[in-house]
Amino acid sequence: MIHLIYLLVFGFLLTTCIGLAASWIDRKVTARIQYRVGPPLLQPLLDIVKLLGKETVLPSGVSRVTFLAAPMIGLASVMVVSTVLWVNSLYPSQGFVGDWIVALYLLAIPSLSVILGGFASRNPLAGLGASREMKLVLAYELPFVLAALVPVIEADCSIRLGDILNFQRANGATATSPAGALALLVAIVCMQAKLALVPFDIPEAETEILCGPLVEYGGPPLAIYRLMKDMLLFILPFFLIILFLGGVRCDGVHLFWGVLKYVGLLALITVGRNTNPRLRIDQALKFFWGPVTFISIGAVLLAAWGH
Amino acid sequence: MNPNLFRFDSLSMLVGVSAGLFFLLILLYSSGYMRGRKGLVRYYLYTVLTFVASLGVIFANNVILFLVFWGFLGLLLCLLIAVGRKDRAAETARKTLIIVGGADAFMLLGVAMVWRLAEVATPWDLTMDSTRIALTGGKAVAAYLCLAAGALAKAGAMPFHTWVPDTAEDAPVPVTAYLPASLDKLLGIYFLARISLEMFQMSTTMNTVLMGVGSFTIIAAVMMALVQHDLKRLLGYHTVSQVGYMVLGIGTGNPIGIAGGLFHMLNNAIYKSCLFLAGGVVEKSAGTSDLDRLGGLAGVMPITFGPFLIASLAISGVPPFNGFASKWLIYQGIIEVGKNGDVLWILWLSAAMFGSALTLASFMKLVHAVFLGQPSPARKRRENGAWKTGPTLWIPPVILGILCVAFGVFAAALPLRFFIYPSVPGEIVPAGIWGSGWAAIMILIGLGIGLAIYLLGTLRKTRTVEAFVGGEILEEHPEMRVSGVDFYQTIQNLGILKLIYDAADRKFFDIYEVGRKTVLGCSRLAGSLHNGLLPRYIVWYLLGMAILFYVLMG
Repeated sequence: MIHLIYLLVFGFLLTTCIGLAASWIDRKVTARIQYRVGPPLLQPLLDIVKLLGKETVLPSGVSRVTFLAAPMIGLASVMVVSTVLWVNSLYPSQGFVGDWIVALYLLAIPSLSVILGGFASRNPLAGLGASREMKLVLAYELPFVLAALVPVIEADCSIRLGDILNFQRANGATATSPAGALALLVAIVCMQAKLALVPFDIPEAETEILCGPLVEYGGPPLAIYRLMKDMLLFILPFFLIILFLGGVRCDGVHLFWGVLKYVGLLALITVGRNTNPRLRIDQALKFFWGPVTFISIGAVLLAAWGH
Repeated sequence: MNPNLFRFDSLSMLVGVSAGLFFLLILLYSSGYMRGRKGLVRYYLYTVLTFVASLGVIFANNVILFLVFWGFLGLLLCLLIAVGRKDRAAETARKTLIIVGGADAFMLLGVAMVWRLAEVATPWDLTMDSTRIALTGGKAVAAYLCLAAGALAKAGAMPFHTWVPDTAEDAPVPVTAYLPASLDKLLGIYFLARISLEMFQMSTTMNTVLMGVGSFTIIAAVMMALVQHDLKRLLGYHTVSQVGYMVLGIGTGNPIGIAGGLFHMLNNAIYKSCLFLAGGVVEKSAGTSDLDRLGGLAGVMPITFGPFLIASLAISGVPPFNGFASKWLIYQGIIEVGKNGDVLWILWLSAAMFGSALTLASFMKLVHAVFLGQPSPARKRRENGAWKTGPTLWIPPVILGILCVAFGVFAAALPLRFFIYPSVPGEIVPAGIWGSGWAAIMILIGLGIGLAIYLLGTLRKTRTVEAFVGGEILEEHPEMRVSGVDFYQTIQNLGILKLIYDAADRKFFDIYEVGRKTVLGCSRLAGSLHNGLLPRYIVWYLLGMAILFYVLMG
């Protein structure tokens, strides 16, 4: 029962609020960089409310269930993973063994839901976009897993997030070691790709394939996708903070540090997406399987040798 | 009867019961799928005999008895493949017989060596559970490797894998779903578990070798699967790739990893035969298994699409399905290895996790090309009535699909507790069990919130419109279709991968082709010595005699 409350209060409501606020910060900063005024604070929420009021349009001949269920699967997995992360941050002893694996797997499902939705749309642009998303997942998954292994190795091979947090509280954040710093760097690059933001917005590439997998979506299903992406904008940096930056603690001045860590990562995301051109998918594959993977292997080796 | 001839412990009961389940499902499916073909008596006879022989393999405790049943199985496999209608079926059957039979010959050698090592009076006294040979010294290692080669060839692990994709493509679908996809996996991994856990005492080095073979199999086979163009061949490569996880699990050598490997063996049999059976329905209805000529079938065959999608997600290890539950145990096992100070665990773990991403990618391609996406022009011409399938064709995949969900959600409560844990030597820490039921409830609530958002919105007034691209109605422009076959062309053309894929295309990694070329080359060399000229023969004759004299006199 207590898990249910965690899921609803932390996993859904709190994550949604922070995600929407983060989305607003991102849009506002982007606007200021481009010499625009930018939206008001409630704009991300109003966008979603407005989408809910629009009618649901289905392309003819699609598999209705797949088309409509795909966004729900993504939203559900984001909520579960955010619950896992919140429980671990609030009570590090309450997590279960192996929640590191579960979090990694659940974080891949939002991409899966976008891909399934795109394939179900029966539109060539959506199909192309979804296949690019799939290739992007392949590209960043290997370095991301390797980077996420570094804190596990440092915390004596424990795959409990709670143990990783406790280890960092005792010995300083993972990112303070050379291996951890390298891994954090890799993870930040992979996070940008996981969020499908410039320079890795290849699947959605508005100017060439019109939002790719989402091209046929409108109304409530699109609202769910938007909500999912806004929540991810909070969850992914949160995951990185837990793994590499010592987590967020909710007592007194520690909360302030936690917020600062998050805002720092968010600023990196926003700056990254405003100062880069889009890559092609083969360039992204080469980039991730080449230099990024090598750096992450270096980080893992350093960690295994105890640095 | 000698009480030592057979043995009924929890491991053999587990494998025996699952073999029975698959046998029944395949019989049911065959009654619909094979209807109207020639040689049905032969087909059913072989199927029943295969089941009987596999029961013999599973419950035999006497090694000689085991070998006899095992040999029968290899022969029956070859006969069943030859039932296929394609021209290549006979050739594939021969290839299978040579690879599997060759590996069986190694097994025979291995048993002979075990007999010497175990120091029992006659080979008849050799039982599966009595010897505990330590893997020290060259002889013991060679014996183990010989036996493992037999197990791995049966299960289809690399480098003995090449008969599996060929069989998947050429044999009738029920045969593939029955033997390479489920029964051969069960038996091969069962035998590997028997020799690794009972016949020999594993050493760290041998465990590392097993884990290496497993990891390599996972990645290499799934990379091949990514670029296939044929539904059945693609599934065949996944059959190979999944063996890697089981070998990896058994190679960890700790209880939780072995439990994961055995559980994965069971799970793989479930979702893989589900995929093959659903694929068979597609092939039977559409008349082809070429991905380029399928597409958009979700609308006309929803009851096949459902199990296929669930099994695809299960094989890719998406929680909360069964594939995730067993992979999760295997990952735990690998990390246990790491705790003992081995550094290579990082390599195994990242290979296994990256392998899941690659598996997901190739199944997404399959789901798009077969069920979602736009229909191919060839498929549009067929009447709507042609898509009706009889209940015998859809009941088995549906049952297997339900099992995929049930074994995932209730993993700890049902299969692990009753079947897997009793089969594993050693204690398993209960804290190490993934709370799958808890997670399933969370995901259900999450889906409920999604549904609530829909209901808040305007789900009830939906409107269906034609899809547009660039202002043109899509249905009127079949040339704008993306079939999905070439989704991963980018990867195929990427740097060093291109070289590897080209070499694989030229069958450079096919142990059968390499062996065939070597043998043919040698025989051509020998053949060129026989040119039919008398003087040449006299020269050989004299030369041989001179050497003989030299050896005998010297």
